[in-house]
Amino acid sequence: MGKGRESSALKDYENQPRPDSHYKRLLLRFVFLTTACSLIPLLLVGWGINGHYTRFAKSRLIHSLETQLADHRKIIELFLQERTSRLHLIAWTHSLAYLETGNNLESMFTVMNRMDGSFADLGVIDAEGSHRAYAGPYDLMGKNYLGAQWFNEVLEKGVYISDVFMGFRQVPHFVIAVLRIEEGARWILRATVNSELFNALVQGMQVGKSGEIVLLNQEGVFQATPKFSGAIMGRAPFSPGGLHDGVKIETVAADEKNAPSRAHHQIVAQTWLDEPRWLLMIRQDYEEALDEVNHANRLTLFFLYISAAIILVVTFFITRYMVSVVKKRDIEAEGLNNQIMEASKLAAIGELSAGVAHEINNPLAIILTEKQIVADMIGETRRLEKGFKERLENALAQITTQVKRCKRITQNLLRFSRRTTSVIETMDLNAFIEEVIELMEREARTSGIRLLFDPGESMPPLVTDPSQLQQVFLNLITNAMDAHDGKPYGTISISTRHDPLRDGVVVKFADTGTGIPADKITRIFDPFFTTKPVGKGTGLGLSISYGIIKRLGGEISVESEVGQGTEFTISLPLSAPLQANGEDANGRRSLSPE
Amino acid sequence: MEQMKILLVDDEKTFIDNIASLLARRNYQAKAVYSGQEAVDAMKSEESDVVVLDLKMPGMDGMTTMKEIRKLNKTSEFLMLTGHGSIDTALEAVKLGAHDYLAKPCEIDELMEKIEEIAIKRKEKNKKKSLFALKGKGK
Repeated sequence: MGKGRESSALKDYENQPRPDSHYKRLLLRFVFLTTACSLIPLLLVGWGINGHYTRFAKSRLIHSLETQLADHRKIIELFLQERTSRLHLIAWTHSLAYLETGNNLESMFTVMNRMDGSFADLGVIDAEGSHRAYAGPYDLMGKNYLGAQWFNEVLEKGVYISDVFMGFRQVPHFVIAVLRIEEGARWILRATVNSELFNALVQGMQVGKSGEIVLLNQEGVFQATPKFSGAIMGRAPFSPGGLHDGVKIETVAADEKNAPSRAHHQIVAQTWLDEPRWLLMIRQDYEEALDEVNHANRLTLFFLYISAAIILVVTFFITRYMVSVVKKRDIEAEGLNNQIMEASKLAAIGELSAGVAHEINNPLAIILTEKQIVADMIGETRRLEKGFKERLENALAQITTQVKRCKRITQNLLRFSRRTTSVIETMDLNAFIEEVIELMEREARTSGIRLLFDPGESMPPLVTDPSQLQQVFLNLITNAMDAHDGKPYGTISISTRHDPLRDGVVVKFADTGTGIPADKITRIFDPFFTTKPVGKGTGLGLSISYGIIKRLGGEISVESEVGQGTEFTISLPLSAPLQANGEDANGRRSLSPE
Repeated sequence: MEQMKILLVDDEKTFIDNIASLLARRNYQAKAVYSGQEAVDAMKSEESDVVVLDLKMPGMDGMTTMKEIRKLNKTSEFLMLTGHGSIDTALEAVKLGAHDYLAKPCEIDELMEKIEEIAIKRKEKNKKKSLFALKGKGK
């Protein structure tokens, strides 16, 4: 394309139909829309699933807590049941007399305690409350229990498990007592449960770092040593509430009354033992209990938000790319638009000038004939003196010159306003150029210009549009002739050659005219650009020629030196590209030799 | 040089009348008509050697007129005048048998040049005819 066009970057800028701010707003709009459309479902689904599974996990957790607590209750109850039935067995299979005697009770105690050490001592107490026999570490033989609560209870109920109390030994303990009725006499077998063992049993459940297991009686007194909330036999800071079946689980708000150092939201599970009526309770920091679930929840949300962030970032970049594509398309469309506008402008001008040219030719013809009539009359008359006649004849010659000049202008206009309905044909380039030369020879001769042709050897046939090509060649020859204005003679040399490397032909038009100055040569193919004085040229010829050559798949370039001449070089492919092929509404005949 | 009979056809009256008088002054027998139909009628009554036709005329245009006259007369030569620069149509006319074309505006000298070309062509044709005639006699 060489010297005749501006850079494409500049063209892009000129062709941008909307300002950058429009594209920024478009970008924001797109980003907003796409992220909304992709983030909203992601977040909804993520939150939904996460929420659902978190709830599910929590409920499973609570359920398992329930089960654990129920199992633990069962363990404690079984333990107490088994100890009770052990005592019951002994009481009802041995007589008071036997147990009183010598070391019998002690041996019994040893054997009974051998497997698990669950009893701290063992004693036989009569219906008056006095110890009849005792095996154990404490000095209780002289003690009397008449009036003691456990004593009254066991006499009444037959079997009794007491709450924890201090008793004579002044150590917190609880007892299991069994009543034996032996031939009308009543006596009681009583054993103290090993506190350490029992505590260990009660505490033997996994409740995490913040959890504690609490055993309360109905008055809210600790029956086993709690981890945090107080001491055995102390009053618990929380109430056991009413009796209920099964396991009750609730969350308790952070409570400063409760160990102030651990004022946390807690989860509390409780269940009542049947016998004795103790409340087994687990208290655990809500956070710790649900630690795993919360962790999973947080992890899920973390990945969810990371995904959302990734989507946001990727969306931004993709949208930016899309907007740039939109912008590029806008520029392309605008460019095409401008091209179309230019083309239709040219077409309109073409039509207009064709009309004008046609209309002018007839009046011009008449002017010439009238001039000839006057010339004839002057030639015939003898009544004019020589100088006067000469002046008249000069004036008439001038009329002729100017009319011819008008003719040239209109002919140029008409040549280049033709509609370009193209027909692709196979032609012989050399023969074609010879015909073109034939067309222009007459005119060239009158301007004193020789048309020389140097045909290339072994030229292959050319598949292109002859009528459009003719237009170009005529234009170049006419321009070349015009370039000789003022010179008495000159030559236009046309040459052709085959270019096998590029599979095409090269045609050169070289003249000996005035040349084109360097500052003008870059604009030579621009529409409406002309170096001719006002009225002499339309500036359309080379622009149209350039367009035609491009459409036929070729290139046109120019070299010139002021004072020496100009050379146009046209290269054409052997076969014109398909786009150049249009409809032929007129059935135009080709100029190829028949 | 015998006077050539020229029939001039153009709807532009001033122009064609001027051409006719200019040719007359130059020793041609020139007749001007203003439409294709008038030209055909004129040819019917008197045959011209050269018919100068404007291509674009209302009614019968130059090409049609040429074809019509050809039907009547095979010897006349045609010169096409074109005022709207469509060289292709003119060339088409030449291919169909017209001698040549001229682009308006043209000098009277150019027109005369063409007419003389036709005159020379005529002479050549006549020479050939007489040669044939001689040859025939020889056989």
